[in-house]
Amino acid sequence: MTPADGGARPEAAEREPLHRPRLGAAIVIGMAVAMTVAVAGIPREHSPLPAVARYALAIALPNWRLTEPVNEIVYGTRGFDTFGETFLLLAAVVSVIVITRSREPRRGYFGEETAAGRERSESDPAGPGDATEDAARRAERREQGDRPAVDQVAPRDRDQAALGAPAPETADAMTVVVRTAIRVVLPILAVAGLYLVAWGYAPGGGFPGGAVIMGVVLLVYAGFGRRRIGRAVRPALLEGIETAGAAAIIATGLLGLLLRGSFSANWLPLAAPQTILSGGIVQLFSASELAEVGTGLTIAVFALLAMRHDWTPDEPGGRAGHASGPAGQPSGPADEPGGHADERAGPAGDPRDAAGSARPGRPADRSRP
Amino acid sequence: MILANYLASAALFCIGLYAVLARRNMIKMVMGLSLMEGSTYLFMISLSYRAGSTAPVLLNPPPGQSTRTLAHGNVADPVLQNFCLTAVVIGVAVTAVFLSVVVRIAQHYRTLDSDRVREMRG
Repeated sequence: MTPADGGARPEAAEREPLHRPRLGAAIVIGMAVAMTVAVAGIPREHSPLPAVARYALAIALPNWRLTEPVNEIVYGTRGFDTFGETFLLLAAVVSVIVITRSREPRRGYFGEETAAGRERSESDPAGPGDATEDAARRAERREQGDRPAVDQVAPRDRDQAALGAPAPETADAMTVVVRTAIRVVLPILAVAGLYLVAWGYAPGGGFPGGAVIMGVVLLVYAGFGRRRIGRAVRPALLEGIETAGAAAIIATGLLGLLLRGSFSANWLPLAAPQTILSGGIVQLFSASELAEVGTGLTIAVFALLAMRHDWTPDEPGGRAGHASGPAGQPSGPADEPGGHADERAGPAGDPRDAAGSARPGRPADRSRP
Repeated sequence: MILANYLASAALFCIGLYAVLARRNMIKMVMGLSLMEGSTYLFMISLSYRAGSTAPVLLNPPPGQSTRTLAHGNVADPVLQNFCLTAVVIGVAVTAVFLSVVVRIAQHYRTLDSDRVREMRG
């Protein structure tokens, strides 16, 4: 990532405009006053519980056979609220997937220049850039020329590779101590996550259980690297499990509507308190939520980790390309961290360019589609 | 004195809001939003506290109390704990959305400075 205001760049020396801090401080002070006034009037530690809480506590044991009112509220009394939250989570995961996926290869004629060329030229007129932009671009090219990044120069043969270039094997960033500790703690954590969900009459439930499962996956990722976890964390598999969880939640609610006459009413027989099956649909809802939350968070985090360096290449003229360049150019991997696109645009290309695209050992965590 | 908790969460919220309004670096804006989220968790958990109460679990009640007295009050408010439980998970997912948008903006405009993202202006 290019730091916007890194150290020695001339832009950093510009005087920072003061309108943001001033306006921000005014709004924040107003907000602080309003919140202090509001906080002074809300219930404190000696006021009685609100009616909804007392109702939930009163019906937890008789109506749901649950000794854990929080679970009873999440999946029973306020089940509809949780239903909405579930699909908020699903929407967030879908947006992450849509935003982070890389560009598809061009498969046909879209006519984007014909359709939107006029608007684009209005918002981003062609022609010489302004002086600061040219200066920035020159500086960027000079920087790239000064110090070719180690992993972007292909050595003549592998034995001559510069120190610091990617080694043939993926880095095992963690020491053997950490990896052994992860191996030991992993089954315990995984069982603990499932335990939180299975014993629904004790504190727990699908949301914390799913978060623990995501923690397990992240631990494996941190300790053993992407390649090891990549076999289990396949988007197709995880997305399937997540959609199945969401479908099970919808089915649970709808069956309540069909069989008992109200959405998310309990339609399962209630077992005795303090058994795995006490709570009826609460347990079913909670287990579906585990699938939904555990896979959803894993998908979101791994989509973010696997984001490719999808930089928009520069136009041949030296101007930053906004829309015209990217997919039209036959440039191969668009995952270069900027700066090289100038050279790549020309068909001749310089040797460094060829070296860049034929580079042998990409780090495994970038090359995932 | 639970009022101190309320005021602390209000202060956290204001710090986060100031970061969102006054910072130009978009990563710092996302950090500010996360701070605002965290302040609401603190607020809800503080709001559910009751003096001398126990956890809302109707199992093995503390000495001197029965399950029935627990069910009629004198526990922490379970509804607000429910809100917090779901809000934490939603917060993680929403932060992931913000961060992926920031990465895309950084890749497209090659800056994290929101003042330099010119096409968003006006």
